[in-house]
Amino acid sequence: MRNTLAIARRELHAYFSSPIAYIMVGLFALLFGWMFYSFLSFFSEQSLRMSQFGMAGPQALNVNEMLIRPLLLQAGIIILIFVPTLTMRTFAEEKRSGTIELLLTSPLTDWEIVLGKFLGAVGLYAVMLLLSSLNLVWLFVYGDPELAPVVTGFVGLLLLGAGFIAIGLFLSNLTRNQIVAGLLTYAALLMLLLVSWVGESAGPVGKAIVSALSVFQHFEDFSKGVVDTQHVIYYLSVITFGLFLTARSVDADRWRG
Amino acid sequence: MIEVQQLTKRYGPFTAVDGVSFNVAKGEILGFLGPNGAGKTTTMRILTGYMPPTEGRARVAGFDLQDSPIEAKRRIGYLPETPPLYPDMTVRDYLLFVARIKGVPPGDQAGRVQTVMERTHVADMGRRHCGKLSKGYRQRVGLAQAIIHNPDVLVLDEPTAGLDPKQIIETRQLIRSLAGDHTIVLSTHILPEVSQTCQRVVIINKGRVVAEDTPDNLTARLQGAASVYVQVDAQGGDAQAVLAGIPGVTTVAVAEQQGPLTGYEVQSEAGRDIRRSVASALVGAGFGLVELRPMRMSLEEIFLQLTTSDVPEEVARA
Ligand SMILES: Nc1ncnc2c1ncn2[C@@H]1O[C@H](COP(=O)(O)OP(=O)(O)O)[C@@H](O)[C@H]1O
Ligand SMILES: [Mg+2]
Repeated sequence: MRNTLAIARRELHAYFSSPIAYIMVGLFALLFGWMFYSFLSFFSEQSLRMSQFGMAGPQALNVNEMLIRPLLLQAGIIILIFVPTLTMRTFAEEKRSGTIELLLTSPLTDWEIVLGKFLGAVGLYAVMLLLSSLNLVWLFVYGDPELAPVVTGFVGLLLLGAGFIAIGLFLSNLTRNQIVAGLLTYAALLMLLLVSWVGESAGPVGKAIVSALSVFQHFEDFSKGVVDTQHVIYYLSVITFGLFLTARSVDADRWRG
Repeated sequence: MIEVQQLTKRYGPFTAVDGVSFNVAKGEILGFLGPNGAGKTTTMRILTGYMPPTEGRARVAGFDLQDSPIEAKRRIGYLPETPPLYPDMTVRDYLLFVARIKGVPPGDQAGRVQTVMERTHVADMGRRHCGKLSKGYRQRVGLAQAIIHNPDVLVLDEPTAGLDPKQIIETRQLIRSLAGDHTIVLSTHILPEVSQTCQRVVIINKGRVVAEDTPDNLTARLQGAASVYVQVDAQGGDAQAVLAGIPGVTTVAVAEQQGPLTGYEVQSEAGRDIRRSVASALVGAGFGLVELRPMRMSLEEIFLQLTTSDVPEEVARA
C-alpha cells in the first residue's frame, strides 16, 4: 500500500508540475460551468413561461429532472475528451525516457505500479469533478433540488471516468509515444460511445453485447439518483479488467525485453 | 554475493547473451568489459530483475531473481545506461521518491537523501529540477538513487560513458569510495577503465565470456606472447633452426605444411617486435619468404577494440 501511494503521489506531482493538470482542471470546470449556465437559462426560461400560465408551486419544473440530469449526462460524454490526456503519459513516457527501468528494478509488484498510476490519475480526475461540482452550489443556495441524485450522479461520473482511465493506462503501455497512446485511447473511448448509439437499433443478441460494451448506458441510472449495484459492479469490472490488462502487458514487456 | 549461472538471453532468433557465468565475492569490484553490443546491458538488466533470462539463473545476496524478485531487488542498487531521472522533479523530491519505492523506512528517508546527496556531491543541487542538470550531475544523481537504500550490491552500467575527463576522474573516485560498503559490478567498453577501478575483470564479446582474471594478469597475458606467422619455401634447409636462432624468439612450431611450403608459428618475448629480424634472417639464409604476418588471438583483437577509447590516454590512466 505504501508503495502504491508513493507511485500515486509521484503521478500527481507530475501532473501538477506541468501545465497539463491546470489546463485540464480549468478547461473542464469552464466547459462544465458553461453547460451548467446554458441549461440553467433554458430551465429558468421554461419555468418562467410555465409560471405565466399559472402553474407555479408544486407543479413547478423539477430541477433534478430538467437541469442536473441532462447536465451530468453531457458531462459523461465530455470526460471522454479529457481522460486520454490524463493517461497518455503514464507508461509511454516512462518507456521513452527509460525511467520504467527504475520502477521495474525496484522492490515493487506490477500491481503496485499499475494501481499507483491508476490512483494518481483518478485523483486528478476527482479534483476536476470536485471543482466543477462547485457550480451546483448555486442551485442549493437559490433553489431546493434533491441532493441524492447530484451525489449519485457524481459517483457515476467518477466510476465512468475511472473505467476510462483503466483503459487509457493499458493503451499507454502499448507504445513509447504518448501522442500515439492518447490517440489510441481517444479512438477506443469514441468507439464505446458509438457502440451505445448503434446498440439502440440492434437485435437481441446484439443488444446483450452492446450493453456489455456500452459504458455510457450504465451511467444513466446514476444521474436519476439510483445506485443500482448491477451498474456499480459493471464499472468495477471495467476498471478491474482494464487494470488487469495493464498489469499483464507490463509483465509481457519484460519477456519481450 | 552475486552468482550468475549459464545466463542466456535471446531476442527472437538473436542470442544477445550466451551461457554467461560468473561470481562476485562480497566487497569486490568486478569490471564487465566488452565492446558495444557485447551483451553487457542485457546481462545487467537480468541481474537487476528488469527482465528474465531465456535460460540460466542469477542470485544476488542469496536471493534468486526469479523466485524472490522483491527480496533480491531490495538488495540491489542499479544505475542504468541512462540515469532514470524524472525531469519534472527536483533532485531532492526525486531521491525521496526513490527512497520510498526502495523501501527505506519513512523516518529514515530524509536523512538518507541528505547522506547520499553529500556522498555524491550533489548537496547543492537539491532544489534543481532533474531535467535542468548537466550530464555530469545527472550521472551523480543516478549514483545517488542507486545507493539510497544502502544496497549490498551495486550494478552500474557504463557509469563514465559520455562524461568529460574531469567528471570521469571524479566518478571513478566516487565508485572506489563506495567499494567498502557495497559489492560492485560495473560495465565499460574502455579497457583502461577497469584497470583503474576493478579488482577483477570479466571480458565478454558477442554474448560470451572470453576471459576472466585480474586486470594485471590480463594485461600481462596479452603483452606477454606476441607471435608471428611465417610461411617459407624451405626446400633444402632447416628454416626452423634459423628462426630459433633469432634473438628474442622463444619458441618455433610448425603450423602447417603445403608441398614445399612450411608455415611456422614464432613466439617472441614480451613487447618485442621480431618481424624485421625474422624477415632478414630468413632471406639472409637463402630461404624464400612467402608470407609474414602477426598472429592475433581473438582476445587480443577484442582488446584492440577496447583500448580504442574516446578518452585521451592520460585521462584514461588517471
Ligand atoms: N530489446 C532488444 N531487442 C532486440 N535486440 C536487442 C535488444 N536489446 C539489445 N539487443 C541486442 O543485443 C545485443 C547486446 O546488446 P547490449 O546488451 O545492449 O550490449 P552492450 O550493453 O554490451 O553494448 C546487441 O546486438 C543489441 O542490438
Ligand atoms: Mg550497453
